[in-house]
Amino acid sequence: MLNIENLHAHYHTDEGTDVHAVDGVDLEVGSNETLGLVGESGCGKTTLAKALIRLLPTNGEIVDGSVNFKETDLTELSDEELRKQIRWTEISMIPQNAMNSLDPVHTVGAQIVQAIRTHEDCSKEEAWNRTRELFEELGLDENRVKDYPHQFSGGMAQRAAIALALCLEPALILADEPTTALDVVVQDQILTMVSELQDEIDSSMIMITHDMSVVSETCDKIAVMYGGNVAEYADSETIIKNPRHPYTLGMRNAFPDISKDTQELISIPGSPPDLIEPEEGCKFAPRCPFAQDECREVTPEPEEFEEGHVVRCHRADEVEYLQEEASKRETWAEMKDDQGDLISATDGGTDE
Amino acid sequence: MGLQRYVGRRLVQLVITYWVFLTLLFGIFRLAPGDPTSMYQMDGLSPEARQQILERLGLNDPLHVQYMRFMVDFITGNWGDSFRYGEPVMDIIVIKFWNTVLLMGPAFFLAFAIGIIFGAFMGWVRGTKKEKGGLILTLFARSSPEFWIGIIVLMVFTFQLGWFPSGGIRAPGAEINSFWGRYLAWDFLHHLALPLLTGVIFYMATPTLLMRSSMISVLNSDFVEMKKAEGIPEYIILYKHAARNSILPVTTVVAIVIGLTIGGSLVIETVFNWPGMGREMVQSVTYNDYNVSQAIFFLMGSVVIFMNLVADIAYVYLDPRVRFDEQ
Amino acid sequence: MSFSDILNRGGSDTPSGVGIGQRIREAFQSTVDLFSGERMGQFGVFLLITFILLAMTAPLLAPYNPDTRHEAEDGSLLRLAEPSGDHLLGTNHEGQDVLSQVLYGTQVSVFVGLFAALIAVFIGTNVGLITAYYGGLVDDILMRLVDIAYGLPFLPFVIVLVFIFGADLFNIVLVIAALLWRDSARVVRAEVLTQKERDYVESAEAIGASDFRILYRHILPNVLPIAFLYIAFAIAYAVIFEASIAFLGYGDPELISWGKMLYQAYTFGAIRFAWWWVIPPGILLMFLVSSVFFIGRTLEKFTNPELRH
Repeated sequence: MLNIENLHAHYHTDEGTDVHAVDGVDLEVGSNETLGLVGESGCGKTTLAKALIRLLPTNGEIVDGSVNFKETDLTELSDEELRKQIRWTEISMIPQNAMNSLDPVHTVGAQIVQAIRTHEDCSKEEAWNRTRELFEELGLDENRVKDYPHQFSGGMAQRAAIALALCLEPALILADEPTTALDVVVQDQILTMVSELQDEIDSSMIMITHDMSVVSETCDKIAVMYGGNVAEYADSETIIKNPRHPYTLGMRNAFPDISKDTQELISIPGSPPDLIEPEEGCKFAPRCPFAQDECREVTPEPEEFEEGHVVRCHRADEVEYLQEEASKRETWAEMKDDQGDLISATDGGTDE
Repeated sequence: MGLQRYVGRRLVQLVITYWVFLTLLFGIFRLAPGDPTSMYQMDGLSPEARQQILERLGLNDPLHVQYMRFMVDFITGNWGDSFRYGEPVMDIIVIKFWNTVLLMGPAFFLAFAIGIIFGAFMGWVRGTKKEKGGLILTLFARSSPEFWIGIIVLMVFTFQLGWFPSGGIRAPGAEINSFWGRYLAWDFLHHLALPLLTGVIFYMATPTLLMRSSMISVLNSDFVEMKKAEGIPEYIILYKHAARNSILPVTTVVAIVIGLTIGGSLVIETVFNWPGMGREMVQSVTYNDYNVSQAIFFLMGSVVIFMNLVADIAYVYLDPRVRFDEQ
Repeated sequence: MSFSDILNRGGSDTPSGVGIGQRIREAFQSTVDLFSGERMGQFGVFLLITFILLAMTAPLLAPYNPDTRHEAEDGSLLRLAEPSGDHLLGTNHEGQDVLSQVLYGTQVSVFVGLFAALIAVFIGTNVGLITAYYGGLVDDILMRLVDIAYGLPFLPFVIVLVFIFGADLFNIVLVIAALLWRDSARVVRAEVLTQKERDYVESAEAIGASDFRILYRHILPNVLPIAFLYIAFAIAYAVIFEASIAFLGYGDPELISWGKMLYQAYTFGAIRFAWWWVIPPGILLMFLVSSVFFIGRTLEKFTNPELRH
């Protein structure tokens, strides 16, 4: 249904250089499928999502590649075509911070009604009724449709934002860290509800998060992003049980409940790469305990191992050795940086 | 509800402000050099006659008695007689008050309306040449005192193009039949155009600049991006969401601009010979006509104080976050 | 490194090793950095410096004594002469040289602008510091006063006061300053209220620094950027108000100012024809005021963006 090919999105800086935030991404999302997009902050996952619906800020630009959605290349559409045919009717968004994503001076219901009536020819009354129904479905009191956003709690605002995202039953929902602002219990409730509703209206979803445990529960497929590329892409089970990329292995270590064989948290030392005019070579190499000369000199190309398991790593074929070594704390602790100095395992991490 | 309590609290503040304002007024005009009789001294007023006048005007009474009488008189609208015209101040001022209100009121509202639209536009096209040009023009308008703008406007539209009269409120000998007959006339509007234009140019700078910066920050907010994602047409995002939110901080300068407008009436009315309160104020000060100048001062202050209240309540009304704060 | 960084550093850890000269040099360097790439701000600084130089050198630059009444060859008064080689900007109704008058007029505007602004912001900054730091009743009363000051119509008030105290230049400066302090008092107070919560104030209190030291050694440097911004605004308003007072005929009768020149031109009816007498003072007035607004725009980017003016 959605097919992203060789997508490059850059941010232009005042100094005249370009930040290659999305640097050649290939991805596929099938019907009624949930894709998890995982990575540290700054890995390009949010830029990728914004590039899909062409919502990049003014200094951002899609420089190459295509986004094929139901046989249409979204990068070729005019602004007006995109607005009328795609935005919200086909692709909607669940924002990270629902409270800030609702206009404070209009009631929550009015904003949902506005979205409905912008794209569908229906009466005010009907739109309001649909809004009330949506509120019910999301476990919100339907009498609160006329409340202003600030009268809602964080969890309620998030539910309202989900109601807004579902109101036109879109084919694809982009959820950008939809639950990070909430506490764990509410997070779980909301994620479960979203999955159910998604099945009900038969739509696909891209779930963007830095939290491995979130994607493992909700997603069919997972793409791990690093430095503007997809480092590894496979179905959820493979990514969690049988990853091949050292970065995925490292990330997995940081979330003990999803990989049973690791008891303690091990984080990846170092910090995300600078994406300004990147040079040749694997972007993860400076932080990778398994990096060799080849890794620093030649950019690895995506390579398919089993059916649908794509990895960008020169050493992905040494899977058993990598998995064995990566689960040891010493492997990450003894890493050295370019200058040969020891990188402390505590001064960085997969979390932001 | 929160709104009622808020208004109640503001009304109490209003009373206190008024009291301080009146006391200040009393103090200032008692400080003034000379007294009403100095006007008559040229006519060879004898000391006895002078004492008589002072006695009659109550200027020999103890200060607190004068103060109490002053307060009561002012609140009841008994503003005494004009020394210059020999008529009750109220009679002289009423017409002039309306003349000023009908000039500065529209100037104020147009300045805000145009400023908000212009500022919203500048925020919308931020980073472009258009915005930069608009910004420079606005800064120059804000840098030009009213009389300078007035003089330029006169030079261009009256002396060069000859489109408008150079001053006054109506053509000499124009017939006036009623209160509304004064103002609902083509002739009046013809005279109004230039002073109005002058005021609008100067006063619109402040709301324009504020609206622009407010727009820029609102346009960077998450909800504007969401509205774009929702596929809401740009013009609706512009006025229903971005501009609507950006107006909130603009209401906070209403008070400042009201103060500027009221003060500016002195200058604009002088340039265009507009028979309003402002010009009368300037003249009455020159002629030591205390009763007139303090009454005008009182009216001007009242307008500012009252409009401050209106602006505060408007703000609360426009911002649901404040409106429902105490639910 | 930005302007406020330098000042912040001065405030947060009282440098014992860093001399005052070093600090001034750093402050100068950071000011230069601040204006680099800011075309409008640079233009403003250039204009303002030009005006200050003009004011200082007016007696040298002016071709004539501005009060001299020039005569034509036939011995009659050279009234309203158009610009010529002798009189680059012509003469006014009394045969006085307009160029010389305009140059001398610079002195009044620059003097009133700078002095009234400095006094106003000096008072305002101190009131803001003290009310915010001590709070309580002092704060309530002074802030009510500020509110009331906002309720007063500015120009009528100034005119009444100038009339009462007499129209000499110092009185005009004082009266303008006495009304303009309210703006800076309000914003400095707001800024001090946020600074008060910062760690450096707490640690200074913990080591037993005196209130005076905390206020002026630690907090003040952090509110200076805002104070500078308000000096810029205050200069603009002071110049406009002085000119307006003069235009209404209440200016210092001894001095030639731009406002007074326009007052004379206006009352004489010269705006119909004598552009050379009208345009120069007005244009200069506009450029002088805009210079500080341009500077203000640059300063504003480095202070609290919530400031509304």
